[in-house]
Amino acid sequence: MTRNGNVEFFSATFVEDIEAQNEMASGLLAADGRFAFRVPILGFRFEKALMEEHFNENYLESTQFPNGTFEGTIANWDPNFESGTWHDVIASGKLTVHGIEKNREISSKIMRDKDGWKIQSAFVIATADHEIPIPKMVRDKIAEEISVTVDLNLLPR
Amino acid sequence: MSCSNFKTYRIILLALTGMVLVQGSYVRAQSLLDELGADEPAAHPVYATFKDTRIINVQSNETPGKDVMHFVIAHRFGQINEGAYSLWGLDNASMRMALDYGLTERLSIGVGRSTFQKTFESSLKWKALEQQSDNSIPIGVTLYAVGMARGDSTFAESQVNRTFANRLSYTYQAIITRKWTEKFSLAVVPSFTHRNLVGFSSDAHDQWTLGVGARYKLAARLSLNSEYHFLIDGLPDGAQNSLSIGVDIETGGHVFQLHITNSRGMFERAFLTETNGRWLDGALFFGFNLSRVFDF
Repeated sequence: MTRNGNVEFFSATFVEDIEAQNEMASGLLAADGRFAFRVPILGFRFEKALMEEHFNENYLESTQFPNGTFEGTIANWDPNFESGTWHDVIASGKLTVHGIEKNREISSKIMRDKDGWKIQSAFVIATADHEIPIPKMVRDKIAEEISVTVDLNLLPR
Repeated sequence: MSCSNFKTYRIILLALTGMVLVQGSYVRAQSLLDELGADEPAAHPVYATFKDTRIINVQSNETPGKDVMHFVIAHRFGQINEGAYSLWGLDNASMRMALDYGLTERLSIGVGRSTFQKTFESSLKWKALEQQSDNSIPIGVTLYAVGMARGDSTFAESQVNRTFANRLSYTYQAIITRKWTEKFSLAVVPSFTHRNLVGFSSDAHDQWTLGVGARYKLAARLSLNSEYHFLIDGLPDGAQNSLSIGVDIETGGHVFQLHITNSRGMFERAFLTETNGRWLDGALFFGFNLSRVFDF
């Protein structure tokens, strides 16, 4: 389990790069390979204050949809994963962003170490999939596909 | 013990076991997300009470933010009831340019220049109190102080009065705001304005006004704004209370504010204490503010 997981996203276009970082992700991994992750949207920090305001007010509508979540099962879970090495796994479940649920299979890496489990993942979220409208006027500044990276350090409860 | 009694026991036992099983599967069906607990994100200052540092004429609670340069170009056209000859006032534009700079997240300094009476301004704005998302602080209080110096050569009737000190006026404001819902924000703005020189000896040097401003969000990037300033000691000769209605249109780093107002001047002394357009006569001015932020 973690309460301070790291989630970052990156939007790259020809005109502008936008990135934001969140160190408030929480996550739970059960012994049977089920997992649940939650990211408070208001926890994303941007380089520019105005970006943060626009992100929360106009795009993610974070007062209405305060959390992004991902819940499901690790498809190729093996409770006896050898510790100390990274294992490629497929996390299969429901990704909810902006109140819109999507079934996703996200490839990730997982490693058991002496303290607990480490999880790393990088994937893409299409804004259209989650009904996040991007007006024409800013379309050259905000990418339609947002790269997300996740870095979690799960400790026993 | 009779046979039927034994049967009853068995049925009760079965029912109990069943209940335990149902209970058990219910616990299993409860998602891991619920197990994470409902830890609410920490309280944070409420964002976007207003979209710009001004509601229309009057300052809002917002400051540009640390190391942000906020640049405003504002136009105020002539009186609409001048009619077709001056294209309903569009022939006569007066202008204001202003630069505000955020020294910290909550403190900013600014300078401005209006063509109206060739006025310079310098100002200080401080978000003394920020409304919090968990209502631990239910309102925001921003303090604003501005000094204005008119530079027009035709200023004052007699040469004797045409001193620098007499060109100065000051306004001090407390901007008390609350964002009630995602869509609706309200501001109450008591202001005190001091003029070193007034037009007539009967005019007061000090004027208190009480303002009310509001924002209603119509769409993601569009809001309806209005403000009204009430001269508490009554209306001096020819003066009116200032009433303005407009919209904010936000596009990325720009905010466009379009409005109709009975105030010609765009700095505090002018619109708070020297508004003279009458709404009922159509003595109104169309204007717009265009703001742009630059980050450093």
